[in-house]
Amino acid sequence: VSDFHLVGRLAAGDKEAIAELYDRHAARVFALARRILRSDSDAEDVVQDVFSQVWRTARRYDTARGTVAGWLLVIARTRAIDRLRARRIRPEGADTPLETIAAATVAPPDQMVSDEQADRVRRALARLPDDQRLALELAYFEGFTQSEIADRLGTPLGTIKTRIRTALITLRRSLRA
Amino acid sequence: MSAGRHDAISAMLGEYALGHLSAEERREVEAHLLACAACTSELREYTLLMDAMARTPEPVSPPAALRQRVLGGLVKPQTPDPKPQIPLLWPLAAAAAVVLGVGATLWVARDGRRAEADLRATIVELEQRIEQFSGQTDLALSILTAGDMRPIALAGQQDAVASAARAYWSPTRGLLIVADRLPTPPPGRIYQVWLIGGGAPVSAGLLGSQGAERGMLIVPPPPGIAAGMVTVAVTDEPPGGLAAPTGAMRLVGAA
Repeated sequence: VSDFHLVGRLAAGDKEAIAELYDRHAARVFALARRILRSDSDAEDVVQDVFSQVWRTARRYDTARGTVAGWLLVIARTRAIDRLRARRIRPEGADTPLETIAAATVAPPDQMVSDEQADRVRRALARLPDDQRLALELAYFEGFTQSEIADRLGTPLGTIKTRIRTALITLRRSLRA
Repeated sequence: MSAGRHDAISAMLGEYALGHLSAEERREVEAHLLACAACTSELREYTLLMDAMARTPEPVSPPAALRQRVLGGLVKPQTPDPKPQIPLLWPLAAAAAVVLGVGATLWVARDGRRAEADLRATIVELEQRIEQFSGQTDLALSILTAGDMRPIALAGQQDAVASAARAYWSPTRGLLIVADRLPTPPPGRIYQVWLIGGGAPVSAGLLGSQGAERGMLIVPPPPGIAAGMVTVAVTDEPPGGLAAPTGAMRLVGAA
């Protein structure tokens, strides 16, 4: 049974379908939330948030928007970063609208990320120069804007932009290799 | 398009995928994407990359108890029929109550961790209410403005002769019914709405109580009702409703 089929059953209120989705994807959702929040108990709360949101909104899930796993992970990242931000005091005017993350980062359904590609990206991320990796991780896993990262690291904004762009280009190439 | 502009946009695509662009920059990128296949395909790689990055942490099974907590905590029914529908205005009141609840939770926040959990639960609940509310409003509007919508007047029957109801039925959009001057249902009974389109009556759902003597229901079209002549009826039934009517008919009308 495909994920898409399960989401269709969710929309009809089928609790077995959400149990099946949970069994398939909870470990990835949990891992991502833990990486972002660095707390098991907060990550568990995110898992709960993600699956309850999926349950409530399955009817509005648009297959054209991406794979089901990608959708779950986008929700997980958004929810986890929301929590992270609630924990810290944000400088004024420095908000990345999270809905733009949700809108922009769902992979198209015809192109699923393979485990092998995820492995390659993981290795490429580990091989990045420290300053590039740090900037990118602050952006991706901690939801900081580029100016927040610049402030935090005491580095000019232009330098941070360059580091993030360079890191993204390297990682994008690693998808193909 | 100039090569310089293409290069400038191309350099922004990673940040676009990362959600780091301002609204204005996003519009600029999106306008360019419409005309540039190379950038569209490059952006596709960046979105794949975002997905891949979400998978870089090694999967970790959450504690077994979490599964029960998550699955046991799913409350909102996804199908309207024959579960009770929340009438149009009730969610607003409920949302207001939840907002007050948020305030109260903040006010009494002594134990930080617990208060935070309560607050989050409250916010999730509030989001659900708002979703329900806006869903109902959208549905009501789409019924009322549907090209195939027919108004149906329902007349009170038997011991509800003073009652009246207006129904708006669109075979493609659904049913909106508002009943007035309804007597309180007998103890342990509720009002259920039926659509009869030639075959057996089909439940449209339960009439939500909206203040004294007023009831409302807004639902998508139940399956099995043809586009032709339809009868709408309200009966009293046991709580939760039944698959076929058994109680006294209180209101009926056809069009």
